[in-house]
Amino acid sequence: MSWKMLALKKSPWVFHVNTGACNNCDIEIVNCLTPKFDVERFGIKLVGSPRHADALLVTGAVTRQALPRLREVYLQIPKPCVVFVIGACACGTGIFHTGYHIEGPVDKVIREIDPEAIIAYVPGCPPKPEAIISGVLQALSIL
Amino acid sequence: MNQQELNNKLAQIKDRLIDIEQKASNRIFLLCEAQNNFDVNKFLFEDVGARFVIATGIDGEDCFEVLYHYSYDQTGCMITIKAFIRDREQPKIQSIAPFLPGAEWIEREIHDLFGIDFPGHPDMRRLILADDWPQGVYPLRKDTSRTKPPTSAFVPGKACGQLGRTIEGVESSREVKE
Repeated sequence: MSWKMLALKKSPWVFHVNTGACNNCDIEIVNCLTPKFDVERFGIKLVGSPRHADALLVTGAVTRQALPRLREVYLQIPKPCVVFVIGACACGTGIFHTGYHIEGPVDKVIREIDPEAIIAYVPGCPPKPEAIISGVLQALSIL
Repeated sequence: MNQQELNNKLAQIKDRLIDIEQKASNRIFLLCEAQNNFDVNKFLFEDVGARFVIATGIDGEDCFEVLYHYSYDQTGCMITIKAFIRDREQPKIQSIAPFLPGAEWIEREIHDLFGIDFPGHPDMRRLILADDWPQGVYPLRKDTSRTKPPTSAFVPGKACGQLGRTIEGVESSREVKE
C-alpha cells in the first residue's frame, strides 16, 4: 500500500457535492457529522474545498447542469481519491431514470473522465447515517 | 364575504368566462379563453382579494392550458382559472406579472418547459433549464422527442465558464498559471 493511501485511510477528509438530490441524502450526511454519530472519531472531516479533500461524497442523479461541475470537482481532488456515491439516485438514477434532465448515474459520469476511479456505493432512499458510516468504513477497510 | 357572497361576486365576470364549474363547496374552476385570462385574473386578485398560490401548465389534446390557482382564505375556498390556448403553433397568453409580481417565476418556468409565450412579462429569461439546453426544445410538450439533446463537450477548467458568469478584471489562478 502506498503511503498516500495509508494517509487517506487514516483520516479521510471529504468534500460533499449535491448533483441534483432532493436534499434527503444531504440531511443524512449532515446528520453523520453531528455529535450523535460524530464521524470525526474516525478522522472523517467535511472540508470546504475539493483541493483539500481525500474523498468525494456525491448525492443525487447527475443533472445536465451539474455534469460539467461534478467532473471539474473530481479533477480538482488530489489523487488517489475515493468517490462515495450516496443514495439510490446517485447509484443508479432511481426514479428519475427517464427524466429529460438526467445524464446518468454518478459512476458512469466519473468513469467517462477517469476509468480507474475508486467508487464505493451506499444505496438507500435515503441511507441511514449508520449505513453511510458503515459503508464508508467498509470501503476504506478493503482499500 | 361568506361562500354565497363569493359565488355571487364571481358571477359578475360571467360574460368573460366559458363556464363556472363548482366541483365542491370550496373548489371552483373558472374556464376562460386565453384572451380573457388577464381580466379574469385581475378581477380575482384586485376586486375579490384572493391570494395567488401557483400556476400550472398542461399540454392538452388540442390546446395548451394554463391554470392560475388562487386561495380565498376567509372561506378556505380554492379558485382556479383555467385558460385555454387554442393556437398550438405560437401559443401565447398575456402575462399577469405586471400587477402580480409573484407570478413572474412560475410564468418563466412554464415558458421554459412548454414554450408558451407571455407577452407583457418584465423579465422572460430562462429559469430552470440547463444553460446548454438548446433553444426551441420544450421538454414537457407531448410531441417532444424522448431522445435527450447532446451535451456540450467537457473542457476541464472551463466548467464555470459555462455558467456565463465573468468578473471583469479578475483572472482565475488557473489561467494565470497557464
